[in-house]
Amino acid sequence: MSSKIITYSEVGAGKGFYTLLAIFAAICAVGFFAFLYLEHEGHYVTGMNNQIVWGLPHVFAIFLIVAASGALNIGSIGTVFRKKIYQPLGRLSALLAISLLVGGLVVLVLDLGHADRLIIAMTHYNFKSIFAWNIILYNGFLGLVGFYIWTMMDRKLKEAYPYAGFMAFTWRLLLTMGTGSIFGFLVARQFYDAAIMAPLFIAMSFSLGLAVFILVLFASYKWTGRELGDLIINRLRYLLAIFIAAVLFFELMRHLSNLYATEHHGVEWFILRDGGVYTQLFWIVQIFLGSLVPLSLIFCRFLAGNRLSLVIAAGLVILGGFAQLYVILIGGQAFPLVLFPGADVESSYFDGVTNSYSPSIWEIMLGLGGVGLAFLMVTIGVKVLRFLPESLSDGIVDKAR
Amino acid sequence: MSNSSVNNMSQTAQPSADGNNQVDAYRRRFMGAITGTVAAAAAITLVPGVFLREVHAADVTPRPEDQPADAKIRWGMLIDTRRLTDGGESMVEACKKEHGWGNDPKARPDQQAQWIRTVKVTDKLTKNSFTLPVMCQHCETAPCVDVCPTGASMKRADGIVQVNKHTCIGCRYCMMACPYKARSFVHEPLTDQLPHSPRGMGTVESCNMCVHRVDKGQIPACAEAAPQAVIFGDLNDPESRISRAMKALGGEQIRGDLGLNTGVRYLNI
Amino acid sequence: MMFSKIKSMLLLPLMLPMLLVAFLAGCDASPPEINLATAKEKAEQCVEPTEDMRRNHMVYLNEHRDETVIAGIRTKKHSLNECINCHVSATKADGEALHYPDQEHFCASCHTYAGVKIDCFQCHADRPQVLDNSDYKHKLSANSYHEMSAKKQPLNMADMLLVTGDKGAVQ
Ligand code: HEC
Ligand code: HEC
Ligand code: HEC
Repeated sequence: MSSKIITYSEVGAGKGFYTLLAIFAAICAVGFFAFLYLEHEGHYVTGMNNQIVWGLPHVFAIFLIVAASGALNIGSIGTVFRKKIYQPLGRLSALLAISLLVGGLVVLVLDLGHADRLIIAMTHYNFKSIFAWNIILYNGFLGLVGFYIWTMMDRKLKEAYPYAGFMAFTWRLLLTMGTGSIFGFLVARQFYDAAIMAPLFIAMSFSLGLAVFILVLFASYKWTGRELGDLIINRLRYLLAIFIAAVLFFELMRHLSNLYATEHHGVEWFILRDGGVYTQLFWIVQIFLGSLVPLSLIFCRFLAGNRLSLVIAAGLVILGGFAQLYVILIGGQAFPLVLFPGADVESSYFDGVTNSYSPSIWEIMLGLGGVGLAFLMVTIGVKVLRFLPESLSDGIVDKAR
Repeated sequence: MSNSSVNNMSQTAQPSADGNNQVDAYRRRFMGAITGTVAAAAAITLVPGVFLREVHAADVTPRPEDQPADAKIRWGMLIDTRRLTDGGESMVEACKKEHGWGNDPKARPDQQAQWIRTVKVTDKLTKNSFTLPVMCQHCETAPCVDVCPTGASMKRADGIVQVNKHTCIGCRYCMMACPYKARSFVHEPLTDQLPHSPRGMGTVESCNMCVHRVDKGQIPACAEAAPQAVIFGDLNDPESRISRAMKALGGEQIRGDLGLNTGVRYLNI
Repeated sequence: MMFSKIKSMLLLPLMLPMLLVAFLAGCDASPPEINLATAKEKAEQCVEPTEDMRRNHMVYLNEHRDETVIAGIRTKKHSLNECINCHVSATKADGEALHYPDQEHFCASCHTYAGVKIDCFQCHADRPQVLDNSDYKHKLSANSYHEMSAKKQPLNMADMLLVTGDKGAVQ
């Protein structure tokens, strides 16, 4: 366990805290209202249809779930890889992981056609389904990370700490692989049908989770007036760069291997060249804003040690990751299914045409509601339990190492 | 699809449809006289133009209502696209009528359910085209069944793939998985559904080969609407009409490359 | 169910005054007026003893629906359609269509009182079908029917061998 020098404490209940609480609660309420409306009216009020069957709520949900498993990494690096400098961050990292996961799952569940049948999803399992496995993985994750937090907080469980950390880490790898495989197993969809989806999602989870973590860390330390030293920040800064590069690498591999297989040329050219909004999102938002700009912000010599640049970089990584998921999820569905290779098809059911999708306000509300819930949980969490080290100044961090 | 270009060539080489029909009618009578096959399906003329016709008795045998679906059977359908002069439009109409879909008042066009549709296929190179009806292909190894988290997307013992709407949670993963776009999601509350085909908001639906009819010993509504082009029957019984026809003529799958072993097969695609 | 409960909880503040009014207005309407008139016209007895039915109809229905949908068993006894056909009339006294939300509906006449929420009628017909089906093809029996047009004739082997030409003729 981290050294005795580190002391953790709850955040105070100032005006700022309650304002924050109110904001997140309001966002949650907006999301819940959207759910009630969808549940009553049906999905015809959304932009989703029989061609684009998964829409913006799923982008939000998968984003949160992927980021959740990534957020746990910071803790894992401390525990599993014994990098002591990260250990003080373990608690916050685990709290963030749980919160993001719950936020994502809630969005996923509330978008179901029959959210009221959740109990069926919990009692009827089809073990051939990756989706069913994911339900188990999510529940297990919540349990394990909860236990992990406990071992970090309770001295009596000190012995169990490394094991809990290790199990949580293994589990989160499985979980992200499971999330990626939701797509990887879809033989029918040209854009998804690839084993590389699983490692790509793992890399994405690293970078997205870290980016969210950085923002939360900055915000919570600034708003509670605690000290955050450069030592730890620079660690996170370079870690982020490595993760961004990893995502870029897997994305490159994916597109190259798709371009290698003739049957996937159609969808590749669609995303990379002809896809309109998806092409723009891919090149401008995901690659340029979401990867290249943050990398240069991190490595630019003039900005070394500049905190704002790191915050902007993390923000851009989040934006880029969101765009990436949007392109994968919705762009992949927008490209028509191939019924007859080598032939043009047309029908009254939109065969052979690029499917269009424009998200409705309800989907945006629902998705944001999940984000609001995640941060509401974090806000409450740091208030009621000792998640945040009182100081992460260089002196303290250095001694803890 | 593998030999479709060959088939298509011969199709284009043929003269107008009317001419064909006359020749066919002649040949039919001719062959009938020799082989006696047509006599087996003898038509008794009641009034000119109205026929009382015995369809081959063995296509579907009624099963006692307290017996479960028979695992020895695998229901399937063979569709000869060239005999579907309307490309299958009558089959689509029959399905709409049987199951009551196709006009959900609030849904946008891209949200309307379509259990079966006609697809016009034009070869990119030869420009040769044909139209075929596409619905759930009732795969032996159905992707929708594999991915469904609750097991609501299911294959019955007799090979019919359908949604158990009582356990469907509306996640739409099956729609992501289906290579044929055979499934629809009900986007709005419905009223006055047909008693034998319940449909409702928030669940996924698709062609179920008219289970309610097959269980009574009837053939699916679409097959009944196009008897000149569609054979419905038991793929596992080598003596069934469909098995004999497939043995003689083959029966192609859409996206056969996926290896799903579909129960709906086509001729001349 | 859970979520509809949450929903109704949210609606509660709105509903309370209305309930109060209803309660004050109709104190004497407390025991449910179960609408058995339609069924009594058709039969003496329910498909199971009345007492049993009152308590266990959902068990029968749920068992039967799995038997039907999963296994394909089509017995009539516990079929939901049959309940509706026997218990519910297609129209109200005033000639309007009778639907589940109406108090007169047999199932609702009891559920509203008992505060039971069911989703069955999101999909299932809640009233007997009024036949408007002047089918273009009149069914005679399982496998025979009148054809209005002589052109659509069932396919037989000889036909197919000829039309498909060479490919078939070889075999
Ligand atoms: C053939 C007509 C018929 C069918 C079919 C039928 N019922 Fe009944 N049911 C009746 C009659 C008649 C009564 C009244 C019996 C009595 O008065 O004791 C009754 C009584 C009942 C009652 C008790 C009402 C009370 O007095 O509390 C319930 C509940 C009920 N039926 C439910 C069902 C359900 C559910 C089904 C379908 C599985 C069904 N019934 C099918 C005729 C029918
Ligand atoms: C989402 C739509 C949907 C909902 C909701 C639904 N059902 Fe069904 N139900 C179906 C379909 C589809 C069938 C299959 C019809 C067939 O195969 O002929 C069916 C069949 C049945 C059958 C067997 C056929 C019959 O008429 O007896 C029963 C019994 C049944 N359902 C009961 C219920 C009950 C009870 C509920 C409410 C708790 C319910 N269902 C809710 C769609 C639904
Ligand atoms: C005698 C009054 C009565 C009548 C009439 C009646 N019900 Fe019920 N029903 C109940 C009660 C009470 C419950 C709740 C039982 C419980 O919660 O344990 C119930 C529960 C149900 C359930 C299960 C609901 C759940 O939450 O799982 C179904 C399905 C159902 N009824 C269907 C019907 C149908 C269909 C009819 C009309 C054919 C009908 N009922 C008529 C009293 C009635």
